[in-house]
Amino acid sequence: MANIWVFAEQTAQGDALEGSLEAIAAARQLGDEVTAVLFAGTEKTETALCQAGADKVLSVQHAGLSPYNVSYFTDALVSLIQERQPDVVLAGSSSIASDFLPRVAARLKTGLILNCLALDDHFIATKAVMGEQQIATETIPETKPKIFTLRAKAYAKPVPDASRTVNVETCTPELSTHPKTRLIEIAQADSNLKKLEDAEVIVSGGRGLKAPENFQMVEELARLLGGSVGATRAVTDAGWRPYSEQIGQTGKTVSPKLYIALGISGQIQHVVGMDSSKLIIAVNKDENAPIFEIADFGMIGDIFQIVPLLIKTLQERS
Amino acid sequence: MKIVVCIKQVPDTVQLKFDSQNNPMLDNVEWLMNPCCSYAVETALQLKETQEGSTVIAISLGGPKAKDGLKRAIAMGCDEAFQFNNAASDAYSIAHSLADAIWKQVPDFDLLLFGQYTDDAMHGITGPMAAEFLNVPSITLGSKVTLTAPGTIRVERQTELGLEGHEMTLPGMVCMANSSVEPRIPSIKGVMRANRTEISFWDAETPVSAVVQTLSTVRKPKKSGGTKIDGSDAQTAVDQLITYLKAQKAL
Repeated sequence: MANIWVFAEQTAQGDALEGSLEAIAAARQLGDEVTAVLFAGTEKTETALCQAGADKVLSVQHAGLSPYNVSYFTDALVSLIQERQPDVVLAGSSSIASDFLPRVAARLKTGLILNCLALDDHFIATKAVMGEQQIATETIPETKPKIFTLRAKAYAKPVPDASRTVNVETCTPELSTHPKTRLIEIAQADSNLKKLEDAEVIVSGGRGLKAPENFQMVEELARLLGGSVGATRAVTDAGWRPYSEQIGQTGKTVSPKLYIALGISGQIQHVVGMDSSKLIIAVNKDENAPIFEIADFGMIGDIFQIVPLLIKTLQERS
Repeated sequence: MKIVVCIKQVPDTVQLKFDSQNNPMLDNVEWLMNPCCSYAVETALQLKETQEGSTVIAISLGGPKAKDGLKRAIAMGCDEAFQFNNAASDAYSIAHSLADAIWKQVPDFDLLLFGQYTDDAMHGITGPMAAEFLNVPSITLGSKVTLTAPGTIRVERQTELGLEGHEMTLPGMVCMANSSVEPRIPSIKGVMRANRTEISFWDAETPVSAVVQTLSTVRKPKKSGGTKIDGSDAQTAVDQLITYLKAQKAL
């Protein structure tokens, strides 16, 4: 069986990224030796990765690895791969993985497939193509390592096992990197903001909300359900909500346990980004809105009457 | 500044219909400039407008449809357009072909712009792979590019957690994802210019071998709907919803 590496990441708070833990779950299913590779990581993350199923954490410490820099990350991972020759490298989908792994794959003359929905025992991957309307089956037949990133929630996050041994090897690679890019500022909306792709509950609003201030009730409903706020492209294009909340083609693809679509007609651009949600609730006043074709529970009615009542009912329950 | 923009024509996936065998009817749908590529073109044109004496060169790897995209790029305001074609099939061989052609034809480029991904293949890796082959720095998920000093750009990058600002020393490559500006509609004058402009062909080399193979492509199964209720009485509707959510163990 294969020797699998998981390129693991951590949040600004020093916790393992959900996607990294999901990738360990996938690696555990597919290989017999699972090594998590962590750059500039914390002890907390190293422990979490082992308890999630990694046999070992390769903890790479180097001044160039924090904050993220494409040149340092590429050089560091390429040199480790060349030295230790893993068969497969997995990662969660993230703005870091999709930024530097293409360079790693190009330099090593091997294949990379982003946002896989599943991998089989032979590392044959499925992924969405054609505006999320088709599923392609793809393989990296000849070259090594095969590199994949997994779409959020494609694999369930493992339940941590505190009895597992925490096995960490720390290494400091020698890098002769001359970076030509530099991070100069981060303007985060909210450092505690849950990554939309990881949310268990998403409450989304569309044009039917009529004005940006009406998103207050979307936010309140999301808060009561412990979820995050999403939006359609029409809404983000109008500047009512940030692009980071956009779901659908050109935005994010999500599959939460519960998705509540408010005032969303259900055009294909939006639907392809959320139709793998476990449970879809839709409220729309137009009974012919296409969102009802995919909603598990559709309500033909006025969001401005139904949502405040729903909020009130949930507040009374808690 | 010499800016090279790589573009691709793709079927309009929003309007795409499927036949009775669930195959996409690619001949019955409009083909357009891939949305992320149009953000790259718009970004290039805005940079050109702030930098006198700049040139924007659009290139496209592909068959007859690639020409339509290049004509549109000229109509929008690009100065030159080049087409070439080979049998490159995966992102690796496409990126290698593009890098190779750029290295031979425009070795003195300052900035290379790509779309983050194309709507058809959805690779999302061609730009940074080409940057690696050309040995220039790369930034992906770009939403805005500004020239801050000669040979230095600032790139805003939209990540899952918010907006980042990066500085890059040129020459370099940026992939545009969401544009903070709407791609311009070509003017009448631009369209006339595009009609007069011959799209030149570059010779294409035999591509390097693909490293990723596509085995099959099928239509994504359509999710079916469930219960639909009349919500004209809001209180009854909310009660029904709560009952439903409890039954589904979602509350």
